[in-house]
Amino acid sequence: MRHVVPRMLLAVALVFGAAGTAHAAKDLVVGFDANLTGLDPSDLNDNLSQSATRLMFEGLYMLDEHMKLQPQLAESFDASEDAKEFTFHLRKGVTFHDGTPFNAAAVKFSFDRAGNPENHLKRQSLYVMIDHTDVVDEYTVRMVLKYPFGAFVNNIAHPGALIVSPKSVQDFGKEVMRHPSGTGPYQFVSWSADTLKMKKSEHYWKPGVPKLDTITYRSVPENGARIAMLQAGEAQFIFPVPPEMIKALQNSPTITIFNEPSILVRYVALNTTRKPFSDPRVRQALNYAVDKQAFAKVVFSGYSDPMDSPLPPLLGYYQKQGSYPYDPAKAKALLAEAGYPNGFESTITGGAATLAQRGMQFVQQQLAVVGVTLKVEPLEAGVLTAKQFNVTGPQDATIVMNYGGWSSSTGDADWGMRPMLYSKSFPPVLFNLAWYSNAATDSAIEQGLATVDASKRATAYSEAQAQVWHDAPWIFLGVDHTLAAYSKKLHGAFMRPDQQFTLTADADLD
Amino acid sequence: MLEYLIRRLTGTIPVLLAVAAFVFLFVHMLPGDPARLVAGPDATPQDIAAVRADMGLDRPLVMQFLRYLSDTARLQLGRSIKTHQTVAELIGERFMPTLLLTVFAMAWSVVVGVGIGVLSGVKRGRWQDQVAMVLAISGISFPGFWLGLLLIDLFSVRLGWLPTGGYGGWQNFVLPAFTLGTAVAAVMARFTRSAFVEVTAEDYVRTARAKGVPERGVIWKHTLRNALIPVITLTGLQFGFLLGGAIVVETVFAWPGLGRLLVDSVAFRDYPVIQAEILLFSCEFVLINLIVDLLYAVVNPEIRLR
Repeated sequence: MRHVVPRMLLAVALVFGAAGTAHAAKDLVVGFDANLTGLDPSDLNDNLSQSATRLMFEGLYMLDEHMKLQPQLAESFDASEDAKEFTFHLRKGVTFHDGTPFNAAAVKFSFDRAGNPENHLKRQSLYVMIDHTDVVDEYTVRMVLKYPFGAFVNNIAHPGALIVSPKSVQDFGKEVMRHPSGTGPYQFVSWSADTLKMKKSEHYWKPGVPKLDTITYRSVPENGARIAMLQAGEAQFIFPVPPEMIKALQNSPTITIFNEPSILVRYVALNTTRKPFSDPRVRQALNYAVDKQAFAKVVFSGYSDPMDSPLPPLLGYYQKQGSYPYDPAKAKALLAEAGYPNGFESTITGGAATLAQRGMQFVQQQLAVVGVTLKVEPLEAGVLTAKQFNVTGPQDATIVMNYGGWSSSTGDADWGMRPMLYSKSFPPVLFNLAWYSNAATDSAIEQGLATVDASKRATAYSEAQAQVWHDAPWIFLGVDHTLAAYSKKLHGAFMRPDQQFTLTADADLD
Repeated sequence: MLEYLIRRLTGTIPVLLAVAAFVFLFVHMLPGDPARLVAGPDATPQDIAAVRADMGLDRPLVMQFLRYLSDTARLQLGRSIKTHQTVAELIGERFMPTLLLTVFAMAWSVVVGVGIGVLSGVKRGRWQDQVAMVLAISGISFPGFWLGLLLIDLFSVRLGWLPTGGYGGWQNFVLPAFTLGTAVAAVMARFTRSAFVEVTAEDYVRTARAKGVPERGVIWKHTLRNALIPVITLTGLQFGFLLGGAIVVETVFAWPGLGRLLVDSVAFRDYPVIQAEILLFSCEFVLINLIVDLLYAVVNPEIRLR
């Protein structure tokens, strides 16, 4: 017995000594307001879960931290002139985390699975244009589309088109969302309640990376608690930081504020089929009546830029259209010209979150100056979507002014306009809450999709933007800034303009 | 006793069935389409139809109801519409964090609350009573989220002694259990005091004093025992409420509990999860009521269980 104790002490000392000499583990903890909804890439639609899948999975193409298209599992692609056939040349020597090889058959499996309506996956609309996928050889895969689709490569750069290991789907079936297996730099460890853990993949194809040992996602819904986590060093990156709380972090010597324009546009969709909004002069008047600079200051503490086109500047094919400068006199004149010299009464509807309510109250106050009296109607998300989408057509729409936002999840101009500004996107199909319909805009949006030729697409979206800007189906408000905060020790962590958390391949902690 | 237990437990079956039916109808009456909410605003009709078909939401409501009843009777709780996880797993992951937090919060707050209440009752009108009641009123009035954030700022950010939140070791329990227990302790103190004062005025207490029972005996045996009956009732109720998940404290301390799950599920109209949680809470209340009734008999042997 007497000998045992010193030996145990020695053992303990050895264990701790060994741990001390090994390099300190680089454990990144990130705190977000929301919780994950799953880890099956083709069955997700929230930014948070998608950002997590993008660390574990990879796509043929990807959008980098500036939303620029970059090859990932494909090295290059060829497209046919008519934008109906896309051939991808794949990277060689890549394996999934479960040890199976990545090849053309895996790509075909992944695409066939996600696009098959019988699988009931939420992102199948990304694949609807695909007629079939062919394995040309081990590392070449060809997709043949049913109709021309110029934004196709952007579509497959969407996190909904990340490539999953065929074996993982065969092994786990529906439960694959709890057992993700991709080719990404980090591999799944565990996901329970509100915590996701990943660790470095030892067999990642790119040499020298990843540098972080583990990544932990934590859901911390309270803004103040999330900030405290960063301050206490329990997390190294947090998102979001509400605009009014930036000040509390600004003077910290250990924390950097992330403040960059996003592609999230804020606008009020005006029901163009209803009086008085059916008159373009009224819609233009409302645009002159709202001071966009003041909107940014009052609602977003300055962390927002005025919209100067229906598209945000960071989205491809954006073109500045000008501005509706703040001019209440002109607004009044236009209203009078349209037959509303004394203004009118209406209701503005939107979400119930603090920022949404503040935004609606701001618009209410601004329009009051030109005689337009608004009732603010903040609604809980479920009630709001029911009101927006439980309609068969413009005749039974109950919302006349919808305060909302949009961010193109494919990072392409098509998805930045078609869902809201195309006449075939009326609810319940998509999000055209202005019930805006203009043949010229429709045809420009269609032309933008019919080709992969960048200059032809640029012309088409330029026309579409100019037409929408002139027709003013929205009160164009602002483009949000993305506000996050991170430890100065962390390098290579970003919020992409679509507000998706992104780590560069060589992301590291000091 | 055993017969009593069996009778009580079988008596709850119709109650739970009624709750199950009521909850089903209630959640389906809420405006909002879970398929639309889960699929997101930029979902196309195909995407939404996929979700709907996947979760069986495209079947007639009557069929869904019958299916739900038969599944529930066999303890098949189904899958979450939002995450596809089984409801049993979703709730299972969050049950222990909620239970443990409730137990710790109740343990200290009942001891402290009853202690302060008795002290106040014995010393009523004196300075001890006044200090205790000022504390109790403060405890009730202090908003939980504010107290929680202040504690985080002091103990986690400034002093670095305790984690800001999350579920884990004992250190993780200190701040949330304290925050959660504060209001309970305050309510217990006020309630114990008034029950105590009320019993003090009873004839049997006067009789006890008159026949020369020492003051200590009057307080502990005659007064407190009887005053404890309503206190036990209140404790049971509080316990039941807290088991339903303390939404504010769970939110502030990023606690993976049942309250946050319920809020998230309502936001997404995640019918199976809402239904299962409400059913679970009902079971918990039924069980707690039973325990409370048993405790009455323990505290006061004159109460017979029939």
